[in-house]
Amino acid sequence: MSEDNFQAHEIRDVIKIQYKYTMGGQSKFFIELKENKKLLGTKCTNCGKTWMPPRINCSECYEPAEWVEMKQTGTIKVSTIVWYTTSAFIQSVPYGIAFIQLDNADTGLLQGIFSENLVPSKIKKGERVKAVFKRREDREGKMTDFFFVPEDEYEMWISKPEYEGSA
Amino acid sequence: MSNRVAIIGVGITPFKARYLDKTYFELAYDATKLALEDANRNGAEITHKDLQSTVYGIYNELFERQFMPDIFTNSYLGMNDKPGTRIASGGATGGYTVRMAFAEVASGLSDLCLCIGLEKCNDCYDEQTGTTTPEVLNAIAYSADLTYEYPMGMMAASSYVSMVNAHYEEFGNPTEEQMAYVSVKNHGNATLNPKSQSPMKITVEDVIYSRIICYPFKMLDCCLYSEASAALILASEQKVKELGIEKPIWITGVGAANTDCFIGNRESIGRLYSNIEAAKAAYKMAGLDYNKIKDQIDVAELHDAFSGQEVISYEELGFVPFGEGGPWIEKSFEKPGEGPWINGELPCCPSGGLIGCGHAVGATGIMSTGEAALQIRGDAGKHQVKIEKGRAIAHSIGGPGAAYAAIIVMANEEGLKKP
Repeated sequence: MSEDNFQAHEIRDVIKIQYKYTMGGQSKFFIELKENKKLLGTKCTNCGKTWMPPRINCSECYEPAEWVEMKQTGTIKVSTIVWYTTSAFIQSVPYGIAFIQLDNADTGLLQGIFSENLVPSKIKKGERVKAVFKRREDREGKMTDFFFVPEDEYEMWISKPEYEGSA
Repeated sequence: MSNRVAIIGVGITPFKARYLDKTYFELAYDATKLALEDANRNGAEITHKDLQSTVYGIYNELFERQFMPDIFTNSYLGMNDKPGTRIASGGATGGYTVRMAFAEVASGLSDLCLCIGLEKCNDCYDEQTGTTTPEVLNAIAYSADLTYEYPMGMMAASSYVSMVNAHYEEFGNPTEEQMAYVSVKNHGNATLNPKSQSPMKITVEDVIYSRIICYPFKMLDCCLYSEASAALILASEQKVKELGIEKPIWITGVGAANTDCFIGNRESIGRLYSNIEAAKAAYKMAGLDYNKIKDQIDVAELHDAFSGQEVISYEELGFVPFGEGGPWIEKSFEKPGEGPWINGELPCCPSGGLIGCGHAVGATGIMSTGEAALQIRGDAGKHQVKIEKGRAIAHSIGGPGAAYAAIIVMANEEGLKKP
């Protein structure tokens, strides 16, 4: 039944849960990222497929996959620039994201694309990109420890005090 | 041997930005009551006490601000001491819920099953901006992988746009104009649907010059999040006879598939393998042909969360060959008898779809299925399309990278004949 002059009672609330979650078999990826600026993928011991993000078991063969060091250069497979987004990121617009195929990977990795010239024609399919890392004291062992930039902007990005190239 | 299954009642609440006067379970009550009334107009004499089981489609606990929202709905619907199961499959929750309710009746577990979807998203509220939408989008973005994807600012639109952009790179379509035609069509169709949230008469230019969301999606390419509930009452063939149902709509095909939720793992980013596999499975079960489907059905309610996605679906669901989805809608504009327009050769989303009617996630695929059923029953109202073959499909996709897909094929008595 709907009533005239209905007055809604609204309650303000927040749901908050704290975590300290394990990355399990993928832990080594995050440790190497944080400590050594390395990007580790995995390679199936049976079919040879390279997984990035890594998985320690091959989902296709049901056989173990071994750790392999991935190249830090790659190619954009597809990208977009975000202008309106979630409450968690709305202060960061515009930002670029892309699926990047690292040069020795079989799969595409989702990552942020930073550019001085953030326009669709600059971060389009086929653009060559290179990984840039936060400096050691800022790295937390999270995906946000690194991002990709167009290859021709790489030197400029790593010259900034808050960022580093790989060793 | 499995039982044949029919939709005997459809109940859909209006799709609205916000119901201040109803909670999620109160909305579910409204939809259930509407579905029972519809079944009773269709020859039944039943109440909620006759329903033997319930399958709930509810996507997101964060929207409802309640884990296991189904059990609280179960209580409010007066369904205590009977089986109730919840399905949650992202944007495809509705289609998957119909699939599971179908399975309950086909298997004989239930002869009379309530299949109900609900969602109430706009209780989410971002104190920082004083608006709901960014917080709603955040609650949805938690469906992306929380370690590898969410921290990059991935969200629903940027996920779908990846497939659309890759499809454009591979096939040269859809263009921004072709996507805009979907928005023009579905907002326009919604003007005929009194339950729709976004009825609008607009032009291609209106869409192209609307606010950019994520390149190349504009505001009017995107559906709005809605609050609504939609319910179907499913009955076994024996129950249909027993109740004396006048116009049963038979579920003749059900297909579903989950493709890799990590978009980067897919062989081609520009194709939704889940759509293709779900369509082929559903058509095969219904005795229809993937390559001739456009001529074998009267109407399709598609999952147009984003305009470009509808264009790609024309191809993946077999209506037109790959690369021809965009031209199919663009070239048929204002040409009756052609394309996916409401008076076209295969009307797509006459209800307005998600872009016109709205997207109340768990309710959406059940609304689409119910709308398609009402069309081939001849009871769709002002947006009724011409029915000749007696067959319709409803399509649901969703999840990270639209990994989930479910397709339902329906037929009236005429449509049961071989095509």
